[in-house]
Amino acid sequence: MNANNRRIVSFKIFPWQRTLQEWLSVDAPVLIYMAKSTIAALLALWIAMTLNMPDPRTAIFTVFIVMQPQSGLVFSKSYYRVLGTIAGVGMSLLIMGMFAQDPIWFIGFFALWIGFTTAMGLKYRNFQFYGFVLAGYTLCIVALPVIETPLQVFDIAVSRFSEVIIGIMCATVVSDVIFPRRLLDSLITREQERFHNVLSTLSDPDSIFAAFDEANPAVSRFSSGVVGLNATRVNSSFESGAGQKERQHYAHLNQEYMNLSTTFYSLKSIVQAIKKRERIEDLSALKSLYLPVVSVLKTLPETLLTPEDLNRIIRELLAVKNTIQVQLDLEYKRLYESMHSVGEDEFISAAYLIIRLLNELHNHCATYLSLLKHRLSGNASREISRVIQFSTHTDNVLVALAALRGSGVLLLTMIFWIWSGWPYATLTITLAVVIGLLLGTMPSPLDGVKDFFKGAVIALIVAAVYDFYIIPEYTSDLLTLSLLITPVLAFIGWMTTRPKLAIFTFGFVFMFMNQLALDPYYKIEPTKFMESSLAALIGILFGGLAYILVNFWSCSLTQKRVAKILRTQIVRLCDGALNVERSALESTGRDLIQQFSTQGRLNMRSSRLVYEWLLSTLEIGRAILTIRRSIQRLYSHYLHPSVDNAMELIKSYFETPTVSGRDQLLSILQKSLQELHSSPMPTEIGQRKRVEILIVELTLIRTVLINSETFPLLSEDSCN
Amino acid sequence: MQLDITLFGIQMPTLLLIFVMSAVVQILLDRMMSDAGIYNHVWHPGLFRTAVFVCLFTIPCLLIYR
Repeated sequence: MNANNRRIVSFKIFPWQRTLQEWLSVDAPVLIYMAKSTIAALLALWIAMTLNMPDPRTAIFTVFIVMQPQSGLVFSKSYYRVLGTIAGVGMSLLIMGMFAQDPIWFIGFFALWIGFTTAMGLKYRNFQFYGFVLAGYTLCIVALPVIETPLQVFDIAVSRFSEVIIGIMCATVVSDVIFPRRLLDSLITREQERFHNVLSTLSDPDSIFAAFDEANPAVSRFSSGVVGLNATRVNSSFESGAGQKERQHYAHLNQEYMNLSTTFYSLKSIVQAIKKRERIEDLSALKSLYLPVVSVLKTLPETLLTPEDLNRIIRELLAVKNTIQVQLDLEYKRLYESMHSVGEDEFISAAYLIIRLLNELHNHCATYLSLLKHRLSGNASREISRVIQFSTHTDNVLVALAALRGSGVLLLTMIFWIWSGWPYATLTITLAVVIGLLLGTMPSPLDGVKDFFKGAVIALIVAAVYDFYIIPEYTSDLLTLSLLITPVLAFIGWMTTRPKLAIFTFGFVFMFMNQLALDPYYKIEPTKFMESSLAALIGILFGGLAYILVNFWSCSLTQKRVAKILRTQIVRLCDGALNVERSALESTGRDLIQQFSTQGRLNMRSSRLVYEWLLSTLEIGRAILTIRRSIQRLYSHYLHPSVDNAMELIKSYFETPTVSGRDQLLSILQKSLQELHSSPMPTEIGQRKRVEILIVELTLIRTVLINSETFPLLSEDSCN
Repeated sequence: MQLDITLFGIQMPTLLLIFVMSAVVQILLDRMMSDAGIYNHVWHPGLFRTAVFVCLFTIPCLLIYR
């Protein structure tokens, strides 16, 4: 009986099985999460009330802020929340100790700190960003309420800090003990999906040899998810069970995947160029080079891969690589004799990229196999010793803008406070700062502000019902209070699981927890409630205003900035240190593009262009490093001055790109290639290899330069 | 042992110091155990981890409160 039949039979016996399975995988996690967050919040409330903390709502608010479906995220967020709170509390003590009597210095320092935290929030990734948000926010909630009575600052700092710690402890313990969902598991599934995706993309020759097709999901998916998966890996390191070794495997897989996708796209764009020139015989030669790879990958099973399958694939790939290499050497010999039209250059580059793709695929499979073995039996087949750092790059202009916005909105609300003399204006300041800090990294902050506002207004209505009707009417002790607020807490838990409602939920939680009567004794007054609500809503409006005013970022500006940063990278590679690793180059570039595509308002066409520029930069940058390394190890009598000249010209061309500079560079590249070809090859194998590397890499640079018409000259404005 | 200690002129409960120290020990221990693969043989790693922390924290607490 095959598997399908068996399934049908089992469905006949248990007709609800599929429904149950779907419920278990889709709905049950949401319910569990709701229960978990409610339990954690009530636990925090109970502890804070029992310990007589002055403001238990901070504890319960903290629970909802750090609570996430997966434990790894909770740990990571909590960790940075603690660090941020420590920094904020420390700064509050300092600032109140020094400048409580002096408004100008006080406001000046305050603005500097908020500007600094906003800027750093943009510069750092993952939840480190969150630590900075909290460092700014904590200063507001600790220093501002005691501005009239500065001597109380120590008490309030200690109690806020203790409440935050209570909230964090409750959230982390509950999320790790009750039905824990591990981030590591989702990391494994995503890595599996990605690996299968790589294999299936590469097993289809059309994915390389057909035209760029936005509709083919396999191809477009090939490039995505590098930055996100890295974030998941970083956050999962807080969970139990993920050994150092396993995490290193993931880092390596991510790195190899980046290399693979760069090579894949470079190969694809060169193949397109060959197609454009209608060199049919080159195309069919390349296809026949690639076909053995396809036939190896086609034999893989569609579903689960076993280590035996992978082992076989790795062996076969190695064999294929060797035969292709032999085939190519013969081809090269023929081509070297008849150089040098552009078309032949392109063929050599494409063939070289196929070999590189194979090498990288082989490596990727080997690492994946090692991970599989490590997970199955604890014995990794591959010794991974090199630690891979995921480098990031943040544009300083974006950071400076964020700092300007953060400080600006603080000064504006401070002026509002001084001008109105309203005691509740401190809440306006806090809200404006929170909006400035929290939504700065979003793709469209203004929409975020609107969502936040909606959430806040609805929370005010719910809080009013609780404060003036339900709590005074029906609560008599902690138990009844807990029972009565449970539905709202569960509702907040449910909202957190909807990604679309993220900012709305945040606004709701923030305002609800701010206004709910959760004090050790009931002390809510209608006037106070109305005034503080109004102050908070005005604060949100101020925050939104800042995003409207300080926002002169545009598509063409983004393109210019990206091009400049990429150019500077190449210039730096031409004369900087030689120990730059390809991994650093790749991860920096991808992180940069990710950031600009969320912040920089690029349209579809220009994000495609920017991605192409990134690929050219990565390709040229890597080639420059390889050439420089080869030159260093080559005996001096094999060196040609024209190669050095070419390198100099590359540098000056990327410093100040001009059309004449491009022509000059292309001709000197051709000249140095001719010289390398015409001089006799070294007889010693190592030296010979290095000269061949020089030829191939220079050819590749030339091909990339010829094909990339928009970078670095920026000859086309794709923003209109 | 005293129930309160003075650090930089600030009086605070000894519990706080014990808490911080046991947290540090816990982090180190956790790293060692996860590298050694102990968590793979434990039924509920999260519960185990919490229990280890409770032991680490309460043993010194019981000692000072005796």
